[in-house]
Amino acid sequence: MAASRGRRLLWHGRRWFSQTESAAPPPPPQPPDSLYPPIVASATAKSKAAKRRRLEHFNQQVHAAASIEEKLRLYGKLQRPKYMVYPQTFALNADRWYRSFTKTVFVPGLPPRPAPAAARAPAAVAPEAAKAPEGAAPQAAKAPEPATAAPAAAETPKVAGAAPYLDIGQLRSLACDALLQESFYQNKKRPFLYRDQDHTPGPFLTQLVSTLAAFLCGRNPLLAASSLDLKPEVNYYWHHGEEVVVHGHRKGRVDPVRFQIDDNPHLQIRVPKQLPEFVPLESDLGDVPVIDHKPSKLPLFKKQYENKVFIGSKVADPCCYGHTQFHLIPDKLKRERFVRANLEDQIEVVYRANGIASLFAWTAAQAMYQGFWSEADVTRPFVSQAVVTDGKYFAFFCYQLNTLALTAETIQNNPRKNICWGTDSKPLYDVVEDGSVKGFNDEVLLQLVRFLLNRPKEL
Amino acid sequence: FPQGVRQAQWLTKTKLVEGLPPPVLSIIDNPAHQLEDYEEGVKRAISHARFWDTTEVAPRREHYCPVLFEDLIHLCRLMAAKYPSLAKRMLARNYKISATWERESILLQVRGLNGILMNSMAPIPPVASKEEILATEEHALETFYPISPTIDLQEVNVYKELNDTGFRDGYPYAHPHTLFFLESANVRTNRFRPEQLRAKMLMFAFGNALAKAKVLYGNDPKVLEQPIVVQSIGTDGQLFQFMVFQLNTTDLVSSNGIKNLVWIDSDQNLYEKAQCVPEVKKRVVTKPAGIYGFQPDTFKKFLALYLHGTV
Repeated sequence: MAASRGRRLLWHGRRWFSQTESAAPPPPPQPPDSLYPPIVASATAKSKAAKRRRLEHFNQQVHAAASIEEKLRLYGKLQRPKYMVYPQTFALNADRWYRSFTKTVFVPGLPPRPAPAAARAPAAVAPEAAKAPEGAAPQAAKAPEPATAAPAAAETPKVAGAAPYLDIGQLRSLACDALLQESFYQNKKRPFLYRDQDHTPGPFLTQLVSTLAAFLCGRNPLLAASSLDLKPEVNYYWHHGEEVVVHGHRKGRVDPVRFQIDDNPHLQIRVPKQLPEFVPLESDLGDVPVIDHKPSKLPLFKKQYENKVFIGSKVADPCCYGHTQFHLIPDKLKRERFVRANLEDQIEVVYRANGIASLFAWTAAQAMYQGFWSEADVTRPFVSQAVVTDGKYFAFFCYQLNTLALTAETIQNNPRKNICWGTDSKPLYDVVEDGSVKGFNDEVLLQLVRFLLNRPKEL
Repeated sequence: FPQGVRQAQWLTKTKLVEGLPPPVLSIIDNPAHQLEDYEEGVKRAISHARFWDTTEVAPRREHYCPVLFEDLIHLCRLMAAKYPSLAKRMLARNYKISATWERESILLQVRGLNGILMNSMAPIPPVASKEEILATEEHALETFYPISPTIDLQEVNVYKELNDTGFRDGYPYAHPHTLFFLESANVRTNRFRPEQLRAKMLMFAFGNALAKAKVLYGNDPKVLEQPIVVQSIGTDGQLFQFMVFQLNTTDLVSSNGIKNLVWIDSDQNLYEKAQCVPEVKKRVVTKPAGIYGFQPDTFKKFLALYLHGTV
């Protein structure tokens, strides 16, 4: 921090002078070896210049940290009361608040696919002689072909290994088998009170995802190198906005508003390579809601504890990028409870808030694992997907993290916004009775399969 | 089970064979399966379970034992790309088994939640040849007189002699394939010692096979035409016990006649030591962090038992 020489005499107690120092012109060219140490603001005074100097010092320390673990440790070293943001929350209109905390734009529907990947319709039994384009990248075959033309199946025998089309019947039978096993065939005791989700939908989701992932790993080599976590922990800590400290010995000071997400997805898939971006880094697809109230009005409560940043495993793990998370809605937030309380419109809010908060925490933690943070913003977008379900209704979300700079200083000149795409919740089946599943919805299953098959373009 | 496997053998009328059976060994030795490619994946799985999976410095056994198991099963399941019939398997957690049988006028039963069961649509073909089965007839069961064979077993009054596989009729994955036992208690005294773990594995494998036999062939005691094979793997996160059990007969009242067979491969270490924090003596790092003594053969056996029946 530069200080012009003449102000030294007016140092103590003349803070308004110290403010003009920061607007002073850059330091005059000094002789190469100055006899005096550089004149900078104090580091310990109760002044704005001193605060700025401390902040600068902290930023430099974090920038110069030797390893990612050291960086994370310094980033979360100072513990102060912070808002605990719960992705699964009963708060009304929580998704608007969460969007404003994380600077996220919500776009209904799913992101545009770069090439219509993996929605290979069930081909006819006899594979037709497709006009197989050369250079058999499997996706190129499906590119701008009308759906009524040859069944979009690249029948080239050059596509090593994988069967050319997805057998929707087999996928359906896998899903139905998992569902029937958990809900019908296995002899289980009655569910414990308020633990219905652990009794059937939880195990069903685990079974479904593990069998589907195993089935599809031939098609998606990224899945073959993936790591499946059961009930992992995902944490992220960040600052956004400013407030004045209300009471206590620090009363009156201007502090950043701190948030922490501690999330426990039911299941998550981590991969060693990053998913490709959906839209370019600087795209603007909508507006971020601005909320004039304090976060505590949501309601959101403050607590002081360890500032954790964790994606599900430590920095040393090679699978450091996220692919898909699966969240299970707990019993407290069941649909029936909202219907009984006359809050039908809040059902979708639950799914959206869960998707936005969990995915923001996961992608931001992944970005921090790569060395980015609020002062060193991301240079490439971080992309992850999530499926939020309560066992029967599935909602799909895709998230693209374009910026980590959410603190009061860095957000001013930052035009980038994070983007979240999401669908409404749709049922996978109607009812299970007598050993068969009625009303199975293939669309939802196909969407799940598309999510699992998502991979970088090179693979 | 103070006598361990010997006691379990007497109770289930079984003959013990050391080592794994020839069909499983042939899967391991078959170079076409390329079991070596998975070494990297296994090392990553061990590191993930033992080092990386937690925000603390070192995870406890309750945490890393199931995580290691899940990672190894995930690796095995990914082989479904090569062998499509592997997709016909389903894991069942928290399932309940009950099987009852009579052994020289003592009524015994096996019940309860035990471990994780993997079911398959197709049964495992019998492992032992007909001659071996007939040869068990001459084998005499070990008794440990004067200790009664039912020592240390809980005596309860049962009002219903139940035989239940744990699943309803019509379940597509009808045949029990492998049982997994995870000894994941933190305190060492709460865990089963290897000998007791093997005995427990034997009893539950027998219980599953017996329940299945009674469902398939009825309650009359008889020698089975098609022996039922159930495998079992037990671990405490580091040491693995492998077992293949073949049920040849449900005639268990007398101690003569055809016996059941079990092949046990015990105390296989997957790795010697997993150092979470580097060991430092007098400010010098004597042992850097990492996995020591990795044995790929143990995972090969795990995978071979998984693939058994479809390959």
